[in-house]
Amino acid sequence: MTTAESAELTIQTSSGVVPMWRQRLQIFMHNKLAIASVAYLVFITLACFIVPHLYQTNQTNQALALNVPWNAAPSWHHWFGTDSSGFDELGRILYGGGYSLTLGLLAGLITIIVGTIYGMVSGFFGGLVDTVMMRTLDALLSIPYLFLLISFITIFARSTTFLIIIIGVTGWWGNARIIRGDALLIRKLEYTQASTAMGASRWHVIRRHVFPNSISNIVTIATFSVADAILFLSALGFLGLGIQAPQTDWGTMLQNGTSQISNGYWWEIYPLAVVFVLVVVAINYIGDALRDVFEVRLLER
Amino acid sequence: MITYIVRRLVQSFLVLLIVMLVTFTLPYFQTGGILAPAYSVLGTHANAYTVHIWGVQHGMNHPYLIRFWNYLDQVVFHANLGYSYKQNMSVWGIISLYVPRTVWLALSALVLTVLIALPLGIFQAARRNSTFDYTATGVAFFLYAMPSFLLCMLMLQFFSFGWIHLPAQPPNEVAPWAMFTDPVGFILPIACLTLLSVAGISRFMRGTVLDVLVQDYVRTARAKGATNRRVLFRHALRNALGPIVTILGLSLPALFGGALIIESVFNYSGLGIQTVNAAVTFDVPTVLGITVLVSIMTLLGNLLADVFLGVVNPRIRVEVQTA
Repeated sequence: MTTAESAELTIQTSSGVVPMWRQRLQIFMHNKLAIASVAYLVFITLACFIVPHLYQTNQTNQALALNVPWNAAPSWHHWFGTDSSGFDELGRILYGGGYSLTLGLLAGLITIIVGTIYGMVSGFFGGLVDTVMMRTLDALLSIPYLFLLISFITIFARSTTFLIIIIGVTGWWGNARIIRGDALLIRKLEYTQASTAMGASRWHVIRRHVFPNSISNIVTIATFSVADAILFLSALGFLGLGIQAPQTDWGTMLQNGTSQISNGYWWEIYPLAVVFVLVVVAINYIGDALRDVFEVRLLER
Repeated sequence: MITYIVRRLVQSFLVLLIVMLVTFTLPYFQTGGILAPAYSVLGTHANAYTVHIWGVQHGMNHPYLIRFWNYLDQVVFHANLGYSYKQNMSVWGIISLYVPRTVWLALSALVLTVLIALPLGIFQAARRNSTFDYTATGVAFFLYAMPSFLLCMLMLQFFSFGWIHLPAQPPNEVAPWAMFTDPVGFILPIACLTLLSVAGISRFMRGTVLDVLVQDYVRTARAKGATNRRVLFRHALRNALGPIVTILGLSLPALFGGALIIESVFNYSGLGIQTVNAAVTFDVPTVLGITVLVSIMTLLGNLLADVFLGVVNPRIRVEVQTA
């Protein structure tokens, strides 16, 4: 059965009737590291959102209140040990991961949505609109990103919603630039011009031609945006500007862990560091694989 | 070329105006309005009258546009960035103390990045899919995925407290020449900053050279019998240089941002730490001044990158002249 199926597949591929998405899926499935990345991300996400309900640990009361050991080495009772406040490290990684992943995903989505709209409008309308929009973008890009984030965050109250919005609002500039380049290119293509010549409105052209044709790029950039958002969130956590206690995220935890590193409490940093870095690597790798998938030149080979 | 540079300078100036408008407007939105810094200066229990007087002393009773005009007038026509609310110094004083320290850090990292990342990227592209290429890509992926403070902390752990004992902290004398008298202290921070940017730039370089290598003119060059080395350095490298120069120009703010984290890990009082402190204590003039200054440096960096682009790429030069 499997041999028959694979034979059928090869025939279809060689005759070129396999639908585009299927061909692309095949390229993606062919990339073993990309599959591993997806599997890893799914595993971590499920762990962060489901396991805390099964493996219940105390994540609100500090050690002094409960008389549990703090900075305890890994044992049967605490698999990854406990941190400097007496929280179970494994439970904390999962608990903080929920916040890091959710915030990263939402912030990344905002950056890509705003960036896409801005870039498309700028690139498609061209002329004065484009000049003004792009010079404004230049201005925003030349303000050092972290400086701006910090002044934003010290100015406004530090709620979770606000962290998402701030990272989202300040992160779309680079995306807008890339999407604009795409829109400029697509605007010059014949079918777009034909559509305009037949009397299509600008919004129609953007919706029907420009957007669908740059969707591959958008998906790829979106992946990188999520990774970047997670990284920036961790940088904020390090500066003490991230999620505030009693909630936590991976950046804040890494910061706590690194301050314990010279005391030899390795379990407070290395397990989380490995989980964190692998998450970002996996997301970036999926982005790379998606770029290969959408690369039209590779389709025929 | 000169008209192009002049036009770009005028454009940069307009961009700078937008930067100033944005940063100047931000404090209006902070909780407590523009008078919020008053409580940071006078104490949290200052009474309303003192706060009012403080506001009048700093011209906050004027309407928004007048205040912005005054600020512009002060910055543009008198090159005066104002006086810090918290530190008994002018903003220029703070900047002239700390800018050399951060620029030294960021610039040496930039130079090292170029020296390492470009050859690495070219070599990877030339030997693509070799073991070396895979290893370098893998390492770059991990470095790119690592939060900068984590990398710094691990480097400190291994190279300062662990296997070898490099100084964990650069010299903190305020005098700018400390960077020449005691260079050993700078090894770790500069290495961290360089590693972080090499990861991104070498990957970009590899991609760009690969893109160039499939172009028709490279095939033509090969067909007419050019050696591999000649193809790589005469044809591919020259054409790949354009995007890389632009990226380097655009990476300047990231470099300053990265320097901020490095500075706080290595406890090196530079521009980054000053900005964080100023932002946390509501020292608005200092934050504004540093932002304006770093923006100017970034804009000049981008301008230099574009001019250099014209130098390395004749096609752009022609476009510029005809435009």
